[in-house]
Order: sequence, then structure tokens, then C-alpha cells
Amino acid sequence: MKKTVIAVLILAAAAAIFVLLPGDEKKIRSNLDSLAGYLSTTETDKSLATLQKVSKAGKLCSDPCAVQFQSFNIDRNFDRKELTDHILMMKKMLPGTRFSFHDTSMNFPKEDRADITTTLRLTGKIESDQFTDAYEFAIIAEKIEGKWLFSSFTVVEFMEQ
Amino acid sequence: MLSSPPTPVPSKQLPRIVLSRKIHNFFLPSLDARLVRRILITGLSCYLLFSYILIPMRIQGHSMEPTYRDGSFAFCWRPSYLFRDIHYSDIVTVRLSGKSTMLLKRVIAVAGDTIEFREGILFRNGKEVSEPYVKYRMPWNLEARTVATDHVYVVGDNRGTPMSRHRFGQVKRNRIMGGVIP
Repeated sequence: MKKTVIAVLILAAAAAIFVLLPGDEKKIRSNLDSLAGYLSTTETDKSLATLQKVSKAGKLCSDPCAVQFQSFNIDRNFDRKELTDHILMMKKMLPGTRFSFHDTSMNFPKEDRADITTTLRLTGKIESDQFTDAYEFAIIAEKIEGKWLFSSFTVVEFMEQ
Repeated sequence: MLSSPPTPVPSKQLPRIVLSRKIHNFFLPSLDARLVRRILITGLSCYLLFSYILIPMRIQGHSMEPTYRDGSFAFCWRPSYLFRDIHYSDIVTVRLSGKSTMLLKRVIAVAGDTIEFREGILFRNGKEVSEPYVKYRMPWNLEARTVATDHVYVVGDNRGTPMSRHRFGQVKRNRIMGGVIP
């Protein structure tokens, strides 16, 4: 009986360590969730709060950060200022839109680099019409000065007209 | 040890008592190892069934209207194409990076077919295709193109939006997750 209790306790401790210790993958997932939160907008967002969110979103990305979106002919590096300006513009165009990442998987080809595949889902309203959209993203995160920062965003164009 | 003789039960009442016991045991079973095993097996079966084989989906968006309306509910039936090929007019689910977000589209052409839209009318291999499921139609124009090997061409039923705002095109066969029920 004692042995069983000890085995259960060891398993519980191992599970707790696994759940509580912040691994690289957990840190990157948490950054993705934060990014989604900073990109999301509510119709009642105050200007100052919006600016703070945009600045925080920018700080999660490297400077410069590569963005590739073939459908919109975008394929270049954006510096921090440019990136935050574009995020601000997007937030103004999409008030009341929720961003969220789903089906995220990642692998680590190097110790300081993570290749992420994820789906970005947008739900919101445009002129009182509910809309939903989803895009698959290939993201690269790099560990720069001890911090995981997103260095590249590529929209995966899996549907070709 | 004291014992009392069992109370005699009239033979006509026996089936009723057995039935009521069965009903009682069904709705209020005693918590024993057998029940726990049953619950675990049922839970695991449901998890496997609804996670990998018959995936419930809430439809969001208007691209498949009027066949599937925004907010309606359906299932993705994964084994649909295990034993048969994808046919014209099949409604399929197309995965993105996983199975929690999928696109619902209709197959209009398979590998090797040539398709084009002329004023909203679909032409496959040069012949006009009747599409009774399309109720809203805008004058889409798309030059003829051939579907690549190992691809299928999918489009939504709601053609009432401008072509630039509708996501459609050829997708790799391995992105098709399955068919749709109902």
C-alpha cells in the first residue's frame, strides 16, 4: 500500500513539474496567445490602450520582421515602426475583431529557432455583418537575448485559383 | 443468527418487480468496478469517435449558403474517401493547420479537368455544368485552367459575392479531411 502511495506521489510531482515549468514551447505558445490578445480589438477600445497593445505586439516581434503574404503581394522585411503602424491601421479597419491561434504545432531545428505552423482565426463584425476568416501561418520564432521573438510570418497559400 | 422466512411474492407480480429493478439499475447503477470500466470505455470511445472519425463542426460564415447556413451544425465524416474517390459535387472539409478550423467547400473538378467561369456559369472540360445548389450567382469570369495532379478544385455554393472576396481554388488531395454529414 505504501509503495502505491509513493508511486502516485512521484507521478503527481512529475506531472506538476511538467505542467508548471516554463519550457520553450510553452513560452512560444504564451507569446502567440499574447500576440492574439494584443491584435484583437473591441469597439470600446480607448486610443491609449490601443497604442499600448500595438506597442506590446511589436515587442513580441524581432526588428526587422519578415512578412510574406502572396495574395497581397507582400514579401519583405518590416522594421518595428513600420510593423506597429500596419498593426494600428489593421486595428482601425477591423474594430470588434477577435484574433486567436489554433492547431499550433512547432519543431525546433536549432536550439534558438522554432518553426511554427498555426491557424489564425478572425471573428468579428464589419458594418453589422458577422464575419469569420481563417489563415494558415508558418511562423519562425528566434531566441534573441534570451527572449523568444517572432521573426517571420508567412501566410500559407494552400488554395490556388 | 436470526432469520425470517422470505415473504411470498405472487407469481403474477414477479415480471413487474424484475423490470422495475432493471430500470432502477439502469438509471441508478451501483458504483462498482464494472460501472467504472463501462464509463471509461464509453468515454474513451466517444473521445476517439468525435475527435478522429466523426468530428462535430459549427459552421461559421456564408460561403456555402444556402446549402449550409451560418451557425448551423454538421459532422465531418473522416472515412468518406477511404474506399472511394472524390466525386464532382461532393461537399468536403479542407483542413488548415489542423482539424479545429476547416473550410467547407464543394468539389467542382478533379485532377486533369479544365474549369472556367463565364458570367458566373461553370464550364468543366468545355461543357456547361448545371449547378442546382447555387442560388446566388454573380457574373464571375475566370479563364480556363487545368487542375494539377493530386489536386481537386473546390468552391463555395454562395457565388453571390464578388470573386475576389470568395476563397476557392485547387487544393492538394491530402488537405481534404473527409465528407460532411448531413
